[in-house]
Amino acid sequence: MDFFNSMILGFQIALQPNNLLFCFIGVLIGTLVGVLPGLGPVAAISLLLPTTFHVTPVSAIIMLAGIYYGAMYGGSTTSILVNIPGEAASVVTCLDGYQMARQGRAGPALGIAAFGSFIAGSLGIVGLMFIAPPLAKMALKFGPPEYFSLMIMGLTILTFLASGPMWKALLMAAFGLFLGCVGMDSMTGAPRFTFDILELSDGVGLVPVVMGLFGISEVLLNVEQTMERSIFETKIKNLLPTLKDWGESIWPILRGTVIGFFLGVLPGGGAVISSFVSYAVEKKVSRHPERFGTGAIQGVAGPESANNAATGGAFIPLLTLGIPANAVMAILLGAMMIHGMQPGPMLLKQNPDLFWGAVTSMYLGNVMLLVLNLPLIGLWVKILKVPYPILFPLILLFCLIGAYSLNNSIVEVLIMIFLGLIGYLFKKFKYEAAPLVLALVLGPLLEAALRRSLLLSAGDPLIFITRPISAVLMLVSFFLLVFPLLPRLGKKRAGLPQREGED
Amino acid sequence: MFRINNDQTSALLWFALGSIVAIVSLRYSLGTLDSPGTGFMPFLAGLAISLFSMIGLVHSTLKLKKGEGWKPVMKGLTWKKSLIALGALFAYALLLKPLGFFLCTALFIGFLLRAVQPQSWLIVAAGAILTAIGAYGIFEIWLQAQLPKGPWGF
Repeated sequence: MDFFNSMILGFQIALQPNNLLFCFIGVLIGTLVGVLPGLGPVAAISLLLPTTFHVTPVSAIIMLAGIYYGAMYGGSTTSILVNIPGEAASVVTCLDGYQMARQGRAGPALGIAAFGSFIAGSLGIVGLMFIAPPLAKMALKFGPPEYFSLMIMGLTILTFLASGPMWKALLMAAFGLFLGCVGMDSMTGAPRFTFDILELSDGVGLVPVVMGLFGISEVLLNVEQTMERSIFETKIKNLLPTLKDWGESIWPILRGTVIGFFLGVLPGGGAVISSFVSYAVEKKVSRHPERFGTGAIQGVAGPESANNAATGGAFIPLLTLGIPANAVMAILLGAMMIHGMQPGPMLLKQNPDLFWGAVTSMYLGNVMLLVLNLPLIGLWVKILKVPYPILFPLILLFCLIGAYSLNNSIVEVLIMIFLGLIGYLFKKFKYEAAPLVLALVLGPLLEAALRRSLLLSAGDPLIFITRPISAVLMLVSFFLLVFPLLPRLGKKRAGLPQREGED
Repeated sequence: MFRINNDQTSALLWFALGSIVAIVSLRYSLGTLDSPGTGFMPFLAGLAISLFSMIGLVHSTLKLKKGEGWKPVMKGLTWKKSLIALGALFAYALLLKPLGFFLCTALFIGFLLRAVQPQSWLIVAAGAILTAIGAYGIFEIWLQAQLPKGPWGF
């Protein structure tokens, strides 16, 4: 099927009324969670995952993807008006966005964030459409050893980029791999660590784990703080940036798009890092770096474009290799598996409707977001004023219903609450949960690839370094693991713009 | 005086967990390298947890020597609120089947609205009833999730 036929197929699917509706619901919820501090895309996608069980897989993926890129749009609103990032990828937008608002330029800041996000989001999708099919073809040549090495590399990159000491992130990944082992052994059918609990024979469910780790724990942390929000009271006008604003922003937008897209493709990269890198690049290339932090429009345009382009890039490893690039993609991988699909090189062949339908829906979603974010800005500001003591019981209720409705089981609810408590302690002791989630999703795939590779090589572990692609991937992982041990290089890792959770 | 910091505490707990996982995995068959058994992967995961926790223990001990001691994790926080919320969650899980979705949800929302940061009784009552009705409408009627029914049939 050639490219244009694929595009037409995609639009035929994305333009179906029910898919349009789910796309709209996704971007609307995404904007909402982006706007509301304390609730990020990971938590929102986990909360809404069970509600997609009753719809078609295409509609489900369209909606869940919409939440992800919608949150990137919404996050900028809170950063600019409240100086609190709505989600982690909008942290740097606070620096100049809030200063612009204080100078009475909240309108252009919000406007350029929305337009930049739109341009970058759309260009990111174009990149995804062109790169994914050839990469999927190449991935068909991968055998179990290459898959194993690729997954190890993905986990290593994520742990390398995690905030804090690397041993903590590696511990979380190892714990995630262990959780992925719970349940029936897929090769022999023997139960492992099930403690005679029927619900555990299918393994520890992804949904209760992510809802607990990201949803419940976040609420428990938020309720113990007094969340005072001071919204910058100003009349928001001139949402359409002037020609001068455009002149200053167009190159940061384009540079942010390229940075975001390629960092998004890397497993372990993503929206948070790309926004930081974009900000650093803009400051470096600017003729007036001293203006950054005082309300420079480039400091809003670049990072906001980068975090949106990253969402398009992040879909590439998921859809072509079946490897999630970050925690959000790990949940999407889980969602696709729940819906009976196996993301990877065969997805394009076996489910072209899903692939092209989801990708083209992102174009439509970006247009919807532009409409939602600019004229409806007043509505989002009103929502920002909903007090947290009224909001949090609803979030908890959503988690409870979501966990219960998976299998109508109280055990799953209890697992979620327990993981919520664990997630709360993780945050207290500064452990990042993203490597755990990625390892939990990859665990069964990684185990199968490892065991198949060893069967293939008659027990020779050198198979991972004697096959060229696998050897390169292993070498990258090895380098990343020893990098922090070398004193000079270790300091460089500490100086990297690391992710404070993609949640 | 005996001193220990946060990372040492957590590393020791992880080491215990990793060791337990590795030991229990031995009960399942480890198999051989050319045919790994059921316990092979969890055994590796347990070993990895133990190994990384040992690295963490050394790292945090070095930090302790440089003066990084115990940092209170609850200082300045109203942790009782999170305890109340956690208790409410467990209570909801245990009472959902006996009381049914509607009543349990109304009580849960009402309790949290009143107990964590007290709202007026009007907001508590309206919030509890409207949320229960809304959630019932969305999940039970629209999405047809099979939520537990109490003795009253809803």
